Amino acid sequence: MDHPQPIPQFLHDGDFLGALKAHGYEVAPRLMEAAAKFQHEMGSGSIATEGTTVLAVKYKDGVLVAGDRRATAGNLVMYERAEKLINIDERSILAIAGVPAVAFEMARVLEHSFKYYQRSQLQEMSTAGKVRSLSKLLKENLPLTLQGVGMVVPIFATYETADGKDGEGKVYFYDALGAQFEGVDYAASGSGSLAVRSVLHYLNTWGGKPLAKFNESEIIVTALRVLDTAADSDTATSGYNPKSDIFPIVRVITAEGVREIPDSDLARVYRSEV
Amino acid sequence: MIEEPYRWIEAIANRREYIEDQLRLGSPVVALNYAEGLLLLTVSRETRKVFEVYDRVAFAALGHPADIERMRLVAIDLAHIEGFNRAVADVSLRRLVNFGMSPALKTAFEQVFGAPFIVRILLAELGDQPEQDSIVKLDYDGSFAQSEIESKEPFHVLAGTGEAQTAMLDYLVEHDSNPRRALNDALKLAAKTWAVGMDMAEHGQTKEGEEAEKREIEPEKVLKEYLKARHVEAAVLERRRPATMKFRLLDDKEVRSALKDL
Repeated sequence: MDHPQPIPQFLHDGDFLGALKAHGYEVAPRLMEAAAKFQHEMGSGSIATEGTTVLAVKYKDGVLVAGDRRATAGNLVMYERAEKLINIDERSILAIAGVPAVAFEMARVLEHSFKYYQRSQLQEMSTAGKVRSLSKLLKENLPLTLQGVGMVVPIFATYETADGKDGEGKVYFYDALGAQFEGVDYAASGSGSLAVRSVLHYLNTWGGKPLAKFNESEIIVTALRVLDTAADSDTATSGYNPKSDIFPIVRVITAEGVREIPDSDLARVYRSEV
Repeated sequence: MIEEPYRWIEAIANRREYIEDQLRLGSPVVALNYAEGLLLLTVSRETRKVFEVYDRVAFAALGHPADIERMRLVAIDLAHIEGFNRAVADVSLRRLVNFGMSPALKTAFEQVFGAPFIVRILLAELGDQPEQDSIVKLDYDGSFAQSEIESKEPFHVLAGTGEAQTAMLDYLVEHDSNPRRALNDALKLAAKTWAVGMDMAEHGQTKEGEEAEKREIEPEKVLKEYLKARHVEAAVLERRRPATMKFRLLDDKEVRSALKDL
């Protein structure tokens, strides 16, 4: 040897998407091929199932996240028990409106990313980092989005704790191209989101007390009423269907983490308040 | 280039001797099962030695910190890529070790112009049932050995020397009356076993041709001495934990209260 070899750098930055790509994983192209092929074979009509109306609203103890259960493909009801809320970690929920296929894949990558980071770097990713991770994934999905095939507009809700101070709920929403916005009081996404946002705006501004001061029961009632309102004007959003007994999914994130509100509680609220 | 096979064998033997010498004073690690799962324990100074790899897989090691770090990251990478591409349930310790970590270690060991990993690794996996729990010891040359949890050996150890390992295993066999022990008892037993191993590694050095003398020590006393400058690092994989991630690093308070009446 004429001169010493440089010491190889072993740089591990906890980037899961990078590690996946090193093993040959590609988010968009696989789906793009499949989507193009499917479109060609099916001819007209929407090929993608679309998920609709999710919302996140901050209240006294944290954040409430809720989603209706209907998934549609064009005018066809695809599924009435769609789960649009995905627990990403103990204190974070991803709520998806848009194409479930892509959204579930993103949720999967996201969930693994946080765990991977925490285990390899021995510290949890910051909230800002988590929010940015989702933004990066959405940008990866750009080719599909621009084709009009795989649009995902998620809401990311989390409970941020800071040493010594009381934590607070945080809500972030994104546009289809991945720009992130922080929702000051609430966020909604999907075909029923306009109705949801309008009602929440009214309540928050002129409703007696701001949403941030609502307690848990009050915010649950509000969420169910607001979803019902959206269902009234949007065929792609399902309200409560007494025949099939399917309720929206409602979860809260507080200092203790994510907690699902059971169907029995929701049934009680529906009978008395909605 | 090594042309003669004999030179290669000589090189390997030298390498082995070198690595064993480097590992000699490493702080031992004990892995035991207990009523609710698996416990890994060591007594360390500053550097961490017990880590989480995946939902049900824990990692502990002895050796060079940089090599421990690299192997830890290799394990985490393999587990997460597999868990993502297939499912969490498809990540198994057997595959991680047999197809991932062991070949990597063996190759590094046998490539005489490259550096070997100076590590000795202990991996524990929590199964759905106690019968499916698994503890595997993986050495720097890629060799691995699994303990038979439900039969004779619901435990495994890492030690700096062969004598220390034997001493620790003998101690566990002698004092392991109840594999369904509570966590506090498991902590006590593991800590005392650690003390036996550390003491043996430091003082039980054999000279050529001599038998290692069996040292009569009181593990409690030895442990207390070491705890003046070190702290116990312990983690569990708990079956009854509601989350899918079963790993939990025990905090100082919990450990100290378990060991206070030793």
